[in-house]
Amino acid sequence: MIKGATAFIVLAGAAFFMGDYHNDVYRKLLLWITLALGYNFLFGICGQVAFSHFAFYGIGAYSIVIFLFQLHLPFPLAVLCGIALCVLFALAVAIPSTRLEGFYLALATLALGQLFIVVLNEGGAVTGGTGGIANYRLPEIFGLRLRGAWYTGVIALLVVATYAVLVRLDRSWFGRACRAVRDNPEAAAAMGVNVARTKVIAFTLTSALAGVAGMVYAFVDNTVNPPIFGIDNAFLLLFMVIVGGAGRHAGAVIGATLLFLLPFWLSPLVGHHQALVFGVLVVLAILLQPAGLVGLYDRLVKR
Amino acid sequence: MKLVAMLAAALLASAAQAQDTIRIGVITDRVGVSKPYAEPATEGIVFGANELNKKGGVLGRRIELLIEDDQSKPDVSAALARKLIDQGAVFILSVSLSPATQQQQTVTMEAKTPQMTPMNSADYLTTQLDNPYFWQTGPLGSVQIATLLAHAKTRNLKRVALITDNSELGQAIAKAFRAGLEKSGIQIVDDEVVANGSTTATPQMQKIRGANPEALFVAGVVTATNVLIFKSYRELGLKFPIHASYNLSVPIYMTAAKGLVDGITFVDAYDPDKPEVKAFEAAYRKETGREPANLHGYGYDGIMLVAAAIKSAGSADKEKIRAAMQSISYSGVMGAKGMKYAFPAGKRAGFDPNGMVVRVYEGDRQGRVVYVGQK
Amino acid sequence: MQDFFELAVGAAASGCVYGLIGLAYLLVLRPTGIINFAVGEWAMLGAFGGFVLLTKYDWPYALGVALALAFMFLVGWATERVVVRPLAEKGAPLLAPILALLGMVVVYRESISAIFPPDPMPVPYALGMGRLELGPVGGTYQSFFTIGVTLVVFVATWLFFERTVAGKAFEAVALHRRAAALMGINLSRVMALSFGAGAVVAGLGGLLVAPNTSAHYLMGVPLAIQGFTALVIGGVGRVAGPLLGGLLLALAEQLTVRYAPIPSGYAQGMPLVLLMVFLLLRPTGLLRARS
Repeated sequence: MIKGATAFIVLAGAAFFMGDYHNDVYRKLLLWITLALGYNFLFGICGQVAFSHFAFYGIGAYSIVIFLFQLHLPFPLAVLCGIALCVLFALAVAIPSTRLEGFYLALATLALGQLFIVVLNEGGAVTGGTGGIANYRLPEIFGLRLRGAWYTGVIALLVVATYAVLVRLDRSWFGRACRAVRDNPEAAAAMGVNVARTKVIAFTLTSALAGVAGMVYAFVDNTVNPPIFGIDNAFLLLFMVIVGGAGRHAGAVIGATLLFLLPFWLSPLVGHHQALVFGVLVVLAILLQPAGLVGLYDRLVKR
Repeated sequence: MKLVAMLAAALLASAAQAQDTIRIGVITDRVGVSKPYAEPATEGIVFGANELNKKGGVLGRRIELLIEDDQSKPDVSAALARKLIDQGAVFILSVSLSPATQQQQTVTMEAKTPQMTPMNSADYLTTQLDNPYFWQTGPLGSVQIATLLAHAKTRNLKRVALITDNSELGQAIAKAFRAGLEKSGIQIVDDEVVANGSTTATPQMQKIRGANPEALFVAGVVTATNVLIFKSYRELGLKFPIHASYNLSVPIYMTAAKGLVDGITFVDAYDPDKPEVKAFEAAYRKETGREPANLHGYGYDGIMLVAAAIKSAGSADKEKIRAAMQSISYSGVMGAKGMKYAFPAGKRAGFDPNGMVVRVYEGDRQGRVVYVGQK
Repeated sequence: MQDFFELAVGAAASGCVYGLIGLAYLLVLRPTGIINFAVGEWAMLGAFGGFVLLTKYDWPYALGVALALAFMFLVGWATERVVVRPLAEKGAPLLAPILALLGMVVVYRESISAIFPPDPMPVPYALGMGRLELGPVGGTYQSFFTIGVTLVVFVATWLFFERTVAGKAFEAVALHRRAAALMGINLSRVMALSFGAGAVVAGLGGLLVAPNTSAHYLMGVPLAIQGFTALVIGGVGRVAGPLLGGLLLALAEQLTVRYAPIPSGYAQGMPLVLLMVFLLLRPTGLLRARS
């Protein structure tokens, strides 16, 4: 509890010492870390290769904007409806998917992610079509106007809370069940674990968390549009977790930080070719250290 | 005390540096989907800045371009806008994707920094947000269709078909085309979309054929997809005239679509006979050894407009620049002969509605101008 | 109805291209279990090979294609040696090479993007731009050429797997690696060959589709998805699977756009829905493997 509070204070406090630009990058970094933590639980700990995480991020973001500014729901209700929507979609995807193994699940969720973009583009007035929705601001919550560095504090809270929830889950019987299902579903079933139910709960929970992150994102730039939620980002999320070290929370944090900031560092160095360098680095990371950077760290420490 | 001295020294140093150059930010796309447009536009900006600096810069100070790559990712774009503002840019030129430009606006509006896109043509950029610091001098979709229609009016069209691609800009231009056609009382008998990455456009063209239109308006902006449309058109032996968006003005069609574009009319902002254009092409050729295209002209005009606004403002103060740009009247490379960029009555789209021309492909070459403006 | 016949040949040609990509997946998947998403980028490389040799340097068609495909074989072989072999030797889980190949998608695409301008590049037709009418159906020379070449490739592949000793070796590896190794079959050679062959087939697909769609650096991912959908629909058990799947996919795609009473913007979701339906209801595809 104390560790959590300290982490929150440090993360949120840092926002006040940064200029606008760094604040912006920092905020987005924290959001990516949140997503990576959730994805790590789904992929690293539960063994489900899914490309739908970003679609849920998008569902969360769009839904809060639509509920607040088109349906004019009061803020708390809008948030609840948004979460409910994510949970419903997640269940709709997860329940039939329990029959799919490994990469077939990945393909189905990839198709889902793409369908989401098609729906956004064709959504006309509801989703703002291809241009998306802009021209809104975060309403006052309990009389507070959260702007700038204060909003970064909200995101810091999100990261810390997500981390706390996931670590708690990981250490519980549920986490053990997930790992058992990941490593050997038949053995897990033999031990009395309800494999299908575990998978569905894991998928629904992490997707709902992604949706909540999406709701927070909607007010970072005060714009939502289809290119933000495209499938390229779904691949990037996977790379982040792999490079950092799948299955380890620290891995998700390290991987997200490194891969998010890398283009910013590479761009001045190699100009056009930063995407190429990026791809090469990912391949090298997988080749040389499949356990990710966290695995590398472990190896060095054990020496 | 030492700390204060250090801070003072740092402030003086940055102030001194600020005296030397005027920083102009450019957000472009070097690796993503906008690259075919953004790259030449950026080259035009760089060429323009060099030209200005050779003549002594603006207000006696050198222009320093800060170029950032947003990879066509709107949220990266917004972060980069903040970075440029933090680095002291007094103006930001946006030549990447339209949603990226849009997302940058939320930043420039808040930071009260002038921003302009000399290229994006989506109409919503000046309507979705009320940002007095943003201008758009690219040829709006609505201007494109109005110009095309003015030319086509002689044909007395009553029933036409519309086709586009599923890219963000393609949809935006199609929306503008639809509005323009409906306003003119012309019926759209069929409205099709070809997905980027398709292997054929024949099913859509068959539907269009079935609806028997008098002409086809092509609002798409992805060259490969438009080529598919033209191929199906030829394959099915269709004969009705094609009127296309400004995407057809991109020179690659002359090599990528050989034998397919003869007779297609398209709207362009480039009149090769204009004296400014000839001068621009000659200067560009001399400096870089390469041929410029109309896309370079957009970027060139962009930086020149900024320079003109700063000169008129007499200082690098953002508010003064804003006022100067809003009241500017400038004649550039792009646009029909005699066209001026202007933002009358608080409008922020500055491309003269009568400034586009309609050209026609003659064989494989971009041919003559057949119509000017909207009258 | 006339429209249907008109579509038929073109759709069949598109389906053949999807089938080739699907086959490229299959050639790698069977002996190694690896799903290689980079096949779309391999198709792109083939298309650019065609641009360089046939358009830029104006070589005769057959010669240019042969050289481009030889180059593709090297690319496939090199990919296996550099990216996949080290992981296999380390005993990494199956997911590792799949992810490494995903990384290669970025590498291939960005390499092309760095070398060539971003505009679409023209690739010439095999037999020129003419049309051939056979009764009610008609199509372009390119469509017929594509169908013909694809049939040849599939028949050759089938013959290889069913009738040659080497082909049976592939099957053996596919069925049981350890047993195959014990029987003296050189596993690494099989893997290298399967990657090389996959790259050739994918590159050929790119060369056949590029005269219509042009060669450009973003063409890989859509093809990869279409090819995988073809494989899922048709089934991985039989060589004919991807071809059947590809034909069905192309027909479904184009007939939906042409005849379905929904706006064409939504029609592009059709292949995605089809993929999801098959994955959920019949992941083994339409054609059952022979046991």
